[in-house]
Amino acid sequence: MLALMNKILDWFRSLFWKEEMELTLVGLQYSGKTTFVNVIASGQFSEDMIPTVGFNMRKITKGNVTIKVWDIGGQPRFRSMWERYCRGVNAIVYMVDAADSDKIEASRNELHNLLDKPQLAGIPVLVLGNKRDKPQALDENGLIERITYFLSRIYLQSKTVKFAVTPSRVKKKDNIDITLQWLIAHSKSGMR
Amino acid sequence: MSSFKRDKKEEEDGGGNPFQNIEKTTVLQEARIFNETSVNPRKCTPVLTKLLYLLNQGETLNAKEATDVFFAMTKLFQSKDVILRRMVYLGIKELSPIADDVIIVTSSLTKDMTGKEDMYRAAAIRALCSITDATMLQAIERYMKQAIVDRNSAVSSAALVSSLHMIKLAPDVVKRWVNEAQEAVNSDNIMVQYHALGLLYHIRKSDRLAVTKLIAKLTRMSLKSPYAVCMLVKEEDSGNDSPYFEFIESCLRHKSEMVVYEAAHAIVNLNVQPVESWHRPLASFSCSVVHLNQLFDLLLSIATLAITTLLKTGAESSVDRLMKQIATFVSEISDEFKVVVVQAIRALALKFPRKHSVLMNFLSAMLRDEGGLEYKASIADTIITIIEDNPETKETGLAHLCEFIEDCEHVSLAVRILHLLGKEGPKTKQPSRFVREHTSATRCCQMDSDDEVRDRATYYSWILNKQDKSLYNNYILDTLQVSIPSLERSLKEYTQGDTDEAFDIKTVPLAPVRSDEEREVKHKAEGMLVSQGPTKLAPISREENFAEKLSAIPSIQNLGPLFRSSEMVELTESETEYYVRCIKHCFTGHMVLQFDCLNTLSDQLLENVRVQLDPSENYQILVKFPENDLPNSIGTFGAVLKFIVKDCDPTTGLPDSDEGYDDEYMLEDLEVTLADQIQKVNKVNWAAAWEEAASNSVELEDTYSLSSMNSLDEAVKNIIQFLGLQPAERSDKVPEGKNTHTLLLAGMFRGGIDILVRAKLAYTDSVTMQLTVRSSDANVAELITSAVG
Repeated sequence: MLALMNKILDWFRSLFWKEEMELTLVGLQYSGKTTFVNVIASGQFSEDMIPTVGFNMRKITKGNVTIKVWDIGGQPRFRSMWERYCRGVNAIVYMVDAADSDKIEASRNELHNLLDKPQLAGIPVLVLGNKRDKPQALDENGLIERITYFLSRIYLQSKTVKFAVTPSRVKKKDNIDITLQWLIAHSKSGMR
Repeated sequence: MSSFKRDKKEEEDGGGNPFQNIEKTTVLQEARIFNETSVNPRKCTPVLTKLLYLLNQGETLNAKEATDVFFAMTKLFQSKDVILRRMVYLGIKELSPIADDVIIVTSSLTKDMTGKEDMYRAAAIRALCSITDATMLQAIERYMKQAIVDRNSAVSSAALVSSLHMIKLAPDVVKRWVNEAQEAVNSDNIMVQYHALGLLYHIRKSDRLAVTKLIAKLTRMSLKSPYAVCMLVKEEDSGNDSPYFEFIESCLRHKSEMVVYEAAHAIVNLNVQPVESWHRPLASFSCSVVHLNQLFDLLLSIATLAITTLLKTGAESSVDRLMKQIATFVSEISDEFKVVVVQAIRALALKFPRKHSVLMNFLSAMLRDEGGLEYKASIADTIITIIEDNPETKETGLAHLCEFIEDCEHVSLAVRILHLLGKEGPKTKQPSRFVREHTSATRCCQMDSDDEVRDRATYYSWILNKQDKSLYNNYILDTLQVSIPSLERSLKEYTQGDTDEAFDIKTVPLAPVRSDEEREVKHKAEGMLVSQGPTKLAPISREENFAEKLSAIPSIQNLGPLFRSSEMVELTESETEYYVRCIKHCFTGHMVLQFDCLNTLSDQLLENVRVQLDPSENYQILVKFPENDLPNSIGTFGAVLKFIVKDCDPTTGLPDSDEGYDDEYMLEDLEVTLADQIQKVNKVNWAAAWEEAASNSVELEDTYSLSSMNSLDEAVKNIIQFLGLQPAERSDKVPEGKNTHTLLLAGMFRGGIDILVRAKLAYTDSVTMQLTVRSSDANVAELITSAVG
């Protein structure tokens, strides 16, 4: 009897706490978007990946939160389509290869283009530096500095943009969980 | 009438199509639910269904609409609902040619085609093939190769067929899949084997040697799939030297009927020489089938094919024997194959015209049998073809057709045959044999449910029953000549005004005579089974156009109806300072001249512009034809353009000062010709009208020497232009190499006076003409003979 009552209580709790959120993952090709999704979804890290032709759609359940992730290909031909999948989501995650300093400028330009779209106003953006395990990779501050070099602070203040980096070893879940926490928190504020 | 019936039928079906009233904009609106955060398959699937329905009904989307709905649809990939997913595949296939950036779903589709859900795999491959362009093909090559050799036969087939489609896109890439296709040929599944063979053949098509090798290998291998064998046989008959005769022959004994067919077909298409040696086996084959009384449909069809083969290749002497053989089983086979037999008979009749009586009798016997429209139509067609090809057969052929329509239930066929009888009947020895059919048809039509049919039938049978030649001529052979819109206008005016006098149809302007091409088109459309789409509205004549405008001018209103408006005549050249053109509007007793003046100078403003005419003596100005003095109704006017000139600013067009000065400008002389006063009339049966006119008209005749003409052709053209009459019975075309010619003309003089003209022309050194005019008015006849001189 008590067990049944607990189950019913659990169910009620899940009703109130159940949350669904939708986020879109973009960024230049070879920045590790699909790998990142695989790691947070199933904890699997694979060295051997092929470029995403189009998009991947994944559903990830963390406790009582279900996250729907649209992982869009980063090759130039897909960049014009990013916006279509960013409209109306709870948050945009913009992935940057922190170890490839040659590409940072191109990455920043694409980010600027994306933030300029009027349809995406008010959607929180997380700029995520990846591949921190490589020796020449930028740290969090370096990333902010390089990315904001051209995007002025005032410009950024009008948007909800936060910067973070993935942990040096992607297999470790700590920082990923922090990232998820941030996402959940900000997507709520974004919806308000 | 038929559309009316169809509507009624749909009503009876009750409701019918639930998608009947959906609209594109609504569906595109509804498709926005695809973008919602949580996808509801039960709501989304019907929207997709509607969208697909619209596209399949021929509705078109522009690129933006298609792209928007396409991307909305990609959101549905998050749902795991099998039906919805398969609908999405269909949607992708439909939209991929219109929408932009469709490659966005590549990754999702490759995931589905390699995934665990078998319901997705084959369909995903087909959708993938439709979105892939040449640049993307390499990215999916690995998956395609795997899919071709997949254990699941549906997946393998889909991959093979998709490869076949993509070979047009990127032949070089698809050629690299030849090993996989080779492996698939060995599949146990008959469709996979067939599709693999198709792909292999297309990969190697351009290389004759490779094809030969492929065939050599496969003929030894004994394929399981009858489809594949058929394809093999088909490919072989493209080579005439065919070293694989043994193989084809063995196929004649294959356990699948389909293969036997294909083999027989291949043999038929080979050169005639080797075929002769195959006669006996084929004949005995067909006979044995019949004699063993194994009248299964399929075997019969094979027998039919064998017999038709014999018919197509046989000699004249064997025709009688073959026809006897066919007669034994023709009633047993399906319509579809009867049509094949009929077509063979047609070929035979064209090849051996002397055998027409046997064949014709056979056809008429077939015509009496039971059968569907298509079958009966093919027989009737064949008889008509034979009649056209061989005039000897006309009498018997028409008699057979005549007998057939006595109780023919196919209306369209009966109409066609009646039309043919109407055309050919009068040329036979005893036309009266065919009259009965038409009178009985007309009588039936008097009870038709369609108003117009009933009206026309009553009209014709009443006239025909009167036995009056003049009625025939005026109301059947030559139909109404007046312009219908003008008639409507005249009648309206008449009913509004004083109705004491009877309405005179002669006051109504005539319809413009249609050009030959227009008539030809109409002629072709007659008696056809298929409709030619909606008929064009009758063109409004130039007169009708001008009449509207002229009747707005008060002083012209009381001149009566407009009879004819001439072409535009230039009185100055177009590049001079003042460009003046004139249209002559001819009324019953008056002529109105319309001058169109254009000032081409930008720095002059003209005011009070008028044309001063220097009339020939017999015209009064404002402008009446000289009464009772027809010969003088033709004449020349000197004309001067008078106006006040004011200099003006070329850019603004404003005059520099208020004062101007008088000036004038000489125009070319204006001629009023005979043709201005005559309207063309098209006589279908000119001879009958001519004969009729002999009793009630004045005839004048004169002979002229047309010394300035150098050929009959030139003379004919000039006479027609000068008199403004309509040539009848194609007499305006002078046959080549002739020295004499008779030109037949018809028309109407202002005031509704009929004119018929016969011009006999002879050419020696110059052209001599004997002109005979018949007209209801002596003065008009006089005018014409004198004007020509």
